[in-house]
Amino acid sequence: MKSFQYLAPIPPFEYVAPRTLSELFETLGGHGKELQVIAGGTDLMIALKERAVVPKIVVDLRRLRKELGGISLEHGVLRIGALATFSQIESSPFVSRYANALRQAAANVGTLQIRCIATLGGNLATASPAADSAPPLIALGATVTLLSGSGERSLPVQSVFSGPKKNGLRAGEIVSSVEIQVNEEVRSAWTRSAVRKENVLSTVSVAVASTITESRFGPSRVALGAVAPTPILAEKASGAMTGSAATADQVERIAALAAEDARPISDIRASAHYRKRLVLVLTKRLILQIISESMTP
Amino acid sequence: MKVKVRFRLNGASRTDEIEPNQALCDYLHDVAGTTSVKKGCDTGECGACTVLLDDAPVTSCLVLAPQVDGREVVTTEGLGTRSAPHPVQREFVEKDAVQCGYCIPGMIVTLSWIFEHAPGASDVEIKRLLSGNLCRCTGYLQQIEALKAARKRG
Repeated sequence: MKSFQYLAPIPPFEYVAPRTLSELFETLGGHGKELQVIAGGTDLMIALKERAVVPKIVVDLRRLRKELGGISLEHGVLRIGALATFSQIESSPFVSRYANALRQAAANVGTLQIRCIATLGGNLATASPAADSAPPLIALGATVTLLSGSGERSLPVQSVFSGPKKNGLRAGEIVSSVEIQVNEEVRSAWTRSAVRKENVLSTVSVAVASTITESRFGPSRVALGAVAPTPILAEKASGAMTGSAATADQVERIAALAAEDARPISDIRASAHYRKRLVLVLTKRLILQIISESMTP
Repeated sequence: MKVKVRFRLNGASRTDEIEPNQALCDYLHDVAGTTSVKKGCDTGECGACTVLLDDAPVTSCLVLAPQVDGREVVTTEGLGTRSAPHPVQREFVEKDAVQCGYCIPGMIVTLSWIFEHAPGASDVEIKRLLSGNLCRCTGYLQQIEALKAARKRG
């Protein structure tokens, strides 16, 4: 019995699930474009069904959870393994304490069923301009560790994105982990606008991370999602916020600069004009929220 | 090239040689015979194919079949039987929470997970957790009532 297929069967491929990192890199080294890596699979499965990719070989990372998974805090560095799922991130006490914006975004990715298998590494490697994990990570100054057979290198999160659904990974390289230098003083928050509350892609998402002492902002970052070919650091807004007074006038100015930093397109979800307006409103809302939290002990 | 998988399906261990280029939902429905696993959208939006994979609800249309190797899968068939239904299954009957029925197996899997893992979840939180199970017949109210009744009666 064959069930009705909305989409024709996926073309055949060879499937391997390496047991060690050296086995993984041996496999990755021997292939080029005809190879796809699968982690949670929530993006790749759709790409396979839609023929957006037609690999000859699919390499599954599922046996490397020990090497590429887990969430830990050591020597002031919060390390999130590439295979950590959004559910694990959402419920991690370390993330909750030191990376609130990331917890908020993780809790809003897709649906419960997606969050239970979709991974942080996969979200970054897919490189959607609307990747929900990216603005919080950029705001928190996170770096991504990329691993290959010839060693590892570290990049700021925004540098992993090179265009819509294009990542900056070299052939044979995988996302291994994400690192955040934690700081007790940093407050961070994330929010988004979307056409409904759940089970939806963000129309615009914004994350802010800052410290506030004696009514002044310390080092601050505003990051934006779904308003440019990649998630971006809002440079003018971040520059203006760092060191400025935490006053209503300044918040207005920073939010207006964030809207200038945005370079949105009009698409099925919203017009470019509306997205710029959303950036202004959401940025303002987040900064005011951070100020108000900093005043409640 | 076929791939060998060994995993547990509804409590029983199962070994199979499978084609890797298929989604878990197709394998479970067409090959393993657990026909409660429905394919709706085939893109992870509707939740009709939800199963528990290592005790976490996932849309099985987004899982590549060989990824179940070494893991545990539970479908609605494995949650309870006609004579000893899961509390959520029992209350679905009691509360008339079923109309056409297509979304129901997936919905029961998700609600059984909420029943076990989020016993204190508020109405708002239940709705958030259930947002990956679309139903186009009901208004979701009977399903949430069924979960609450299951919590009350155990």
